[in-house]
Amino acid sequence: MKLVCLGLNHETAPVEVREKFALSEAGVEREVAGLLGARGVEEGVVLSTCNRTEYYAVVGEDGGEQDLENWVCEQRGFLGDRAGLFYVHEARGAAEHLCRVASGMNSMVLGETEIFGQVKQAYRKAHEGGATKGVLNQLFQRAFGVGKRVRTQTAIQEGATSVAGASVELAEKVFGRLKGSSVMVIGAGEMSRQTARALQSRGATSVMVTNRSFDKAVDLANEIDGRAIPFSGWEVELEHLDVVIAATGAPHFVVKPGHVEAVRRKRKFRPLIMVDIAVPRDIDPEVGEIEEVYLYDIDTLQEMADEARRRREEQLKICEEIIREEIDKARLPAVNG
Amino acid sequence: MGIGWVILATVLAVAGGVIGVLGVREERTSRRAFFLMFGVFGAQLMALGWRGGLRGSCPLGDLGEVCLFLAWSLTLFYLVTGTTYRVSLLGVFTAPVVVLLQGVALIPGSFATEVMKKEVVDPWRETHAALSVLSYGALALAAVAGVMFLILNARLKSRKLGSGLVAGMPSVSRLVRAMFRITMLGWLVLTAGIVAALMMEVGSFNAHLLVATVTWILYAVLLGVYLWRGLPGKHLAWGVIVLFLGSLLVFGKL
Repeated sequence: MKLVCLGLNHETAPVEVREKFALSEAGVEREVAGLLGARGVEEGVVLSTCNRTEYYAVVGEDGGEQDLENWVCEQRGFLGDRAGLFYVHEARGAAEHLCRVASGMNSMVLGETEIFGQVKQAYRKAHEGGATKGVLNQLFQRAFGVGKRVRTQTAIQEGATSVAGASVELAEKVFGRLKGSSVMVIGAGEMSRQTARALQSRGATSVMVTNRSFDKAVDLANEIDGRAIPFSGWEVELEHLDVVIAATGAPHFVVKPGHVEAVRRKRKFRPLIMVDIAVPRDIDPEVGEIEEVYLYDIDTLQEMADEARRRREEQLKICEEIIREEIDKARLPAVNG
Repeated sequence: MGIGWVILATVLAVAGGVIGVLGVREERTSRRAFFLMFGVFGAQLMALGWRGGLRGSCPLGDLGEVCLFLAWSLTLFYLVTGTTYRVSLLGVFTAPVVVLLQGVALIPGSFATEVMKKEVVDPWRETHAALSVLSYGALALAAVAGVMFLILNARLKSRKLGSGLVAGMPSVSRLVRAMFRITMLGWLVLTAGIVAALMMEVGSFNAHLLVATVTWILYAVLLGVYLWRGLPGKHLAWGVIVLFLGSLLVFGKL
């Protein structure tokens, strides 16, 4: 009896292959049931996310990873080239891989937390379907413990690794919680949408969108549940705002010191954070000289995101140590031999 | 134990400060610093009890007692208000001030050795002294929050965001709110202290009361301007720092 992990992910397979192997929620349930009928499989869990599809199985003497791979390809009707497509881990290697996946160490965005819930859900489905027994039950519980330890004892999930996330982090440094804060997005492009969404996810309630083409402003406003403002009147709203995101394609400065100076008294000199993610820049750097204005451009945000990624990578060693410790503690012949 | 309580309070404050700084370096907000400040507070109370027992009145009769009382009130307000935001980091900034004040108190001669126990105590005089020093504890803490704000503001404005110090600090808005609220609290206690001074049995409008009144007016102007007109955080921070240090300096000269 041995533990096997067979899978493909964003590192081994392009999206057009990954989507062939991706499974819906109902699909996972069916796959788990089918997996138990595959040759030599005694226990099984199937994990399917947008970036990976993995099969964790306990196989008997008459089964092996090649049988598992054949079975998976047969189920998906995959006839393409398999070279380098799948990765296979066995025994301790498979257990360590699961721990890395559950901790976000194997994710496209290092340290992301969503995967932990996805692994839990995959396990729950398999458990409910009667596909897990002694080995996988213990192994997954151990992996969840590792995920929790990694989350609480390391800094692998700290810091924003995207420009939109860095904008949120800066806004929180100025305002603390963003609950109830007012945001204006100048420009209706993809970056505006991402940043506005990120701010909303942290509690920003009032989001206004303005754009030279009003139709585009309306489209984005509808999409993010915000309010479109005509471009000719955005300055009036400045009085009530906490955060301004500028991302237009204008070849000149859109926001100038005079715009902010005009409303300082009315704002009672409240802090105002301005994020300029446009190139060429939309906000005159002199706006940042105003005492209560915190102005950041795309370079600062990119630098923050890069720094966060670097710091997360530094945490990997500590995470590996935690995994080693936890797997050592596991008394599983299928894992530790 | 007597002076031993002051030494213990100082050692605990040093430990609180060191642990706090280490926590900042590791980008962690440790609660240990906060609990150590609780220990500081307890030791200060015992020390004040010792001096109060000797005097038979509020222990504010010499430099050592004033410093100790001020350190105690600073710790008290830190414990009361600190939990509303990142406690350990405020402790990092508060602990050195407490250590400094108690360090002065521990200089030989700061505590008078020959203390006459008061036979007759004027309750208004005792109330005035206690409230005045207590208010300075709050105003000192507001100044500490002001220093924190200036550091955070400078780093955010200059985009030096990568340090543990910035990561561990409360937000700009919270620090501004803290400065305002603690200053308001200190000002209200100072008001009560001045009212108590006017009620004293043998009282006269002396230089001491004049300085206290001017200080009171200046703080009232600062708070009024912030409340009705608004002030950039940096101006409020400089206001609470300059007023605290200025008035402390003038009181020291009297």
